Amino acid sequence: MIGCFALAGCMSKVDRLPNSLLKLSKHDPALSGNGNKLALIVDKKNGSSVELQDLLKGTSLPLRYLSRHQPHSSPSLSWNGRYIAVITQRGNRRLAIIEDQLTGRVHKLPVPGERVPVRLSLSPDASQLAMQLSENGKWRIEVFNLSEIIEPDQPNQRLSGN
Amino acid sequence: MKTSIIYKQLNTLSLLLLVLTLASCAKGQMRSAYRLNNLISRSSSSYREPSVGTQWLATLVNRNGKEKIELIDLKNKRVVSLPGINRSDSQPISVSVSANGQRLAFVRQRDDQTELLLYRRNLGTLQTLRLSPRGVPRRVSLDGSGRLLAVQVSRDGRWDIDLIKLSS
Repeated sequence: MIGCFALAGCMSKVDRLPNSLLKLSKHDPALSGNGNKLALIVDKKNGSSVELQDLLKGTSLPLRYLSRHQPHSSPSLSWNGRYIAVITQRGNRRLAIIEDQLTGRVHKLPVPGERVPVRLSLSPDASQLAMQLSENGKWRIEVFNLSEIIEPDQPNQRLSGN
Repeated sequence: MKTSIIYKQLNTLSLLLLVLTLASCAKGQMRSAYRLNNLISRSSSSYREPSVGTQWLATLVNRNGKEKIELIDLKNKRVVSLPGINRSDSQPISVSVSANGQRLAFVRQRDDQTELLLYRRNLGTLQTLRLSPRGVPRRVSLDGSGRLLAVQVSRDGRWDIDLIKLSS
């Protein structure tokens, strides 16, 4: 489980949640648009792995394809957490992928050329993906339209089982 | 003669199949937002730490050797003014934007302090957020409403994640 709800400034509310991963380093947090889910990277023996937490139930959610291809980095969630985007390792290449929690389908998002994905951000409705790319020692951001490959994840939709 | 015609027809069919195959491959791929990406690549050589809202892109951009927070309106393809958010004596580290683009949470380094802040665009106000127990913030993620914030925090040599409920 995740860390804690912490007090922030005089106008914010704080709670602390139980923490079963206390000894493990956790980083790269990404909240779903509705705030009910949290993706994060946990440093484990087999490499940095993405985890998905249901903040309402206080439980970990299973990931299919993303149980492999470590190290993972820079997770990002859509509004209901239906889609989780993350950078994975495929051979000697870094590869951005999106796992659909509803269908189990995986979308691989190769970037043409020698550009290497460094960070990702999925728009709340999953229609766009911003990618920080490393190219010839420089960082740049490119925005990609995903509307032809995945259906939107809108605020009024619900995932089955939620 | 008949054989030649059949070969020609087969060649035409093969070409048609090739075109159809390529077309089906092209469909189902992510498409680059060319106009927007041209705008971004023209204005600076270095952008990093993207955070996308419904029609907003918050990012750290290097201008003349100095990094600053920038908010881009993706619909109208223009940079939005953020008065008071960038300081000449500070270096932004991470930024996250709410879905409607009204709230930006960010971490910045100023002197020897690492600060966690919330910027409200509609009010033009900047609020310092304090961690309890104390720690050094690194990365931030706002939910869509901008009322829940996840922060990567360093404590006792280990990364942890705090969840902070923010007031309306």
